Amino acid sequence: MFINWALQEINLKIVYYGPGMSGKTTNLEYIHSKLDPSLKGDLVSLKTKEDRTIFFDFMQIEVGRIKGKKPKFNLYTVPGQVYYASSRKVILNGVDGIVFVADSQPHRMEANKETLLDLEANLKADGSSLEDFPWVIQYNKRDLPGAESIDELQKRLNFFDVPHFEGVAVRGDGVFDTLKSTINLVVQNVQNQL
Amino acid sequence: MVQTRKLQDGSRQVILNGKQYDAITNVLSELAAKTKASAILFADMSGQLISQRGNTDNMNTTVLSALAASDFAATAEMAKLVGEEAKFKLLFHEGDKRNVYLSNVGDDFFLVVVFDVSVTLGLIRIYTKKAIEDLTAAILAEDSEDTKDDKMIDSDFSTLLGDALDDSFK
Repeated sequence: MFINWALQEINLKIVYYGPGMSGKTTNLEYIHSKLDPSLKGDLVSLKTKEDRTIFFDFMQIEVGRIKGKKPKFNLYTVPGQVYYASSRKVILNGVDGIVFVADSQPHRMEANKETLLDLEANLKADGSSLEDFPWVIQYNKRDLPGAESIDELQKRLNFFDVPHFEGVAVRGDGVFDTLKSTINLVVQNVQNQL
Repeated sequence: MVQTRKLQDGSRQVILNGKQYDAITNVLSELAAKTKASAILFADMSGQLISQRGNTDNMNTTVLSALAASDFAATAEMAKLVGEEAKFKLLFHEGDKRNVYLSNVGDDFFLVVVFDVSVTLGLIRIYTKKAIEDLTAAILAEDSEDTKDDKMIDSDFSTLLGDALDDSFK
């Protein structure tokens, strides 16, 4: 969190994390497509020719002034593919809240778990842990036939019982609820520590 | 000193007061005047833009800061791979019309100077070096202002923020 007292700005960094092709960029694209132009900046995507995120996507959103303060939210995604591990680590620098976008398809369960462990390792390297960091899970691709049951996903991935959401990011289902819940967690978290 | 503290959950909080912001912005103004740089940005390593000077109207400086921070992050990893123990201190991008000179300010902040190719690199280097010293002093200066964040975020604030998010996300 970055607080600029002179400009009365509160800046939060929220990172969308998850395995390759789970829908992290799709979440950001949906938010960008629906928000009023006055509240959003450009969506910047560093992609390969094949449309895969190579470094990150970035977008800043605002909600206007609240009690004279100006909250700004910087949303980032990380590349999901295994070999971009160091990109994922550096994007977490200064992160305030995390959305873990899991793929609901049964054959992606291992990839979900592996990425979650990779996230935990990166947080640990910086002195944090999933156990007390503000984060939520979005079980994406709920519309696909054969999607794993929520019970099973919860059992296998949600060790710390963080808020979870069902998503169909291409249609926008669950996208705003997920983001709002993450922002709330971060803000509550700051309040609790005062 | 710019307050940087680690919360219990491990996330980092940086608080900049009015005096520090003014001091930083003054350094940028001076640097802009002396070098005729097109744009100067001061940001933190997480990609957060703090202050800017110069002709930035047609430049998306929010995105530029985010990209510059990742530029530093990427080259820090590169440094490790080539056996350089410290991080690279400065990055330079040369274009046909414009150049970009990036330099870190301590471990947590950096400076971006965008300038026309007609301005010599030597001039930018000399004045940027001085500006970095001044910025470091501004960051480290003792602050007397009370900048407790409890006035910034109270329970009322989170309720109102929730409502504002609902409105924006309709």
